[in-house]
Amino acid sequence: MSRRIAITGLGAVSALGIGARVNWEAARDGRSGIVAHRFEGGPHAPEPVTLPAALTPEGHAQALEDRFSRKVSGGLDRFAVLGLCAAHEALEQAGLVDHPALSHRTGIVLGHGQGGQETLERSYERFFGLKSQRMHPGTVPKIMVSGGVSAVAMQFGVHGPTFATSSACASSAHAIVQGAGLIQTGLADIAIVGGSEAIATPGSMAGWQAIQALATETCRPFSRDRDGMVMGDGGAVLILEDMDHARARGAEILGEYLGAGMTSDAFHITQPSLDGASGAIRQAATAAGLLEADEVLISAHGTGTPLNDRNEAAAIQAVFGERTPRHPVIATKSAHGHLIGGSAALQAVIALQALKTGLAPPVLNYNEPDPECVVALVLGEARSIQARHALVNAFAFGGLNVSLAFAA
Amino acid sequence: MKATESEILDLIAKEAIIDREKVTRDATLEDLGISSLDLISMLFELEETYGVVVEEADMPQMTTLGEMVDFLLSRINEAAPS
Repeated sequence: MSRRIAITGLGAVSALGIGARVNWEAARDGRSGIVAHRFEGGPHAPEPVTLPAALTPEGHAQALEDRFSRKVSGGLDRFAVLGLCAAHEALEQAGLVDHPALSHRTGIVLGHGQGGQETLERSYERFFGLKSQRMHPGTVPKIMVSGGVSAVAMQFGVHGPTFATSSACASSAHAIVQGAGLIQTGLADIAIVGGSEAIATPGSMAGWQAIQALATETCRPFSRDRDGMVMGDGGAVLILEDMDHARARGAEILGEYLGAGMTSDAFHITQPSLDGASGAIRQAATAAGLLEADEVLISAHGTGTPLNDRNEAAAIQAVFGERTPRHPVIATKSAHGHLIGGSAALQAVIALQALKTGLAPPVLNYNEPDPECVVALVLGEARSIQARHALVNAFAFGGLNVSLAFAA
Repeated sequence: MKATESEILDLIAKEAIIDREKVTRDATLEDLGISSLDLISMLFELEETYGVVVEEADMPQMTTLGEMVDFLLSRINEAAPS
């Protein structure tokens, strides 16, 4: 890697609240955003269902819309509004709002698993359910997965390379790697990276139920009695910046992006593979020189599904061997739920603050050890750590794996 | 559900993304840059709010917002139970 990459801004919005710091403090203090929600699908849907979910509170979503110019937010799906909110916070922290560098030397890469699901369901209810001949003209621009990055570009006047990545639960992890690549290859000095998701809609939730991925009660990563993930929504954004560029303008350096590992299982559309997950972690740890490190904070993908957590624990073991017990493992989806395309970015935002403050947030809802998940989980309450480095894992359906390496 | 002139003007401002203070009876659609897509979005919102279906093709040739508001009010209020 020729150019070092600083992190100069963080932004987050989720069921834990609005703001990177608010999200961090909630995770650190063991507060969960998971509650029971009722999903009602309209006049043609089956009976409503009640499921645990971690959703950005409605009042907050409205407050976000009000914060942005209506030219952008008037025609956006919820996923794009959440991404825009996180981008705004991160750019403000980086001191980049209205900065001349935003215009042509900045890129945007945000990851989303699905795009405008809420709009899709409302429009299709009109078309298929109500048999309306008319489709709202905002349907296509609100559904498209790239609607989020376009909104950020319009709002902040960014003219550099701008695109979305989509790889299910790894979408924002791939976005971070691609954004870093723009800087490393000289195409940009700054990259607005991360992701968002808002797919806790009645039709989508029925699909997730069908695939038997959802927990009945809550998310219990690595606990023997875990029975699934909990859907979340929200967004998170990091500002990546060429280190020299950041120093030259006197920006506060919040951390450093060191590299990543990326693999594809080429195995199964929903089941994970040990080689795929361990390969990504090994590549990232190697790139960042962490294979022999004393202590590395590992932010696990940790969805709380039986298969993921068992496979992920085995993958960590496969990479670190007898050094595994040194490395504290956190699983913050037990607090903020699974943001699908936005998860890796939110985990990165939390992990960077964990490194900065020397505290690892606890895994929530843990009941009993699983002999197949033997890693050094942080349980009970936040624990002091010495780690200066973190790995953030994202393992997506379809076998798409990313591990990101950061330094404080 | 009956509508008032001020509610219709609010709705036009929201859907066409125009400052509310510029949205007056005398303003013309052309001056405000209200596009065909803005009009369709507005008709969708009318349907959602007041339960009245107005097709774009039904709308007469109009120059000012005042003409449009009068037409929409008549369609909404004739459909609403008195």
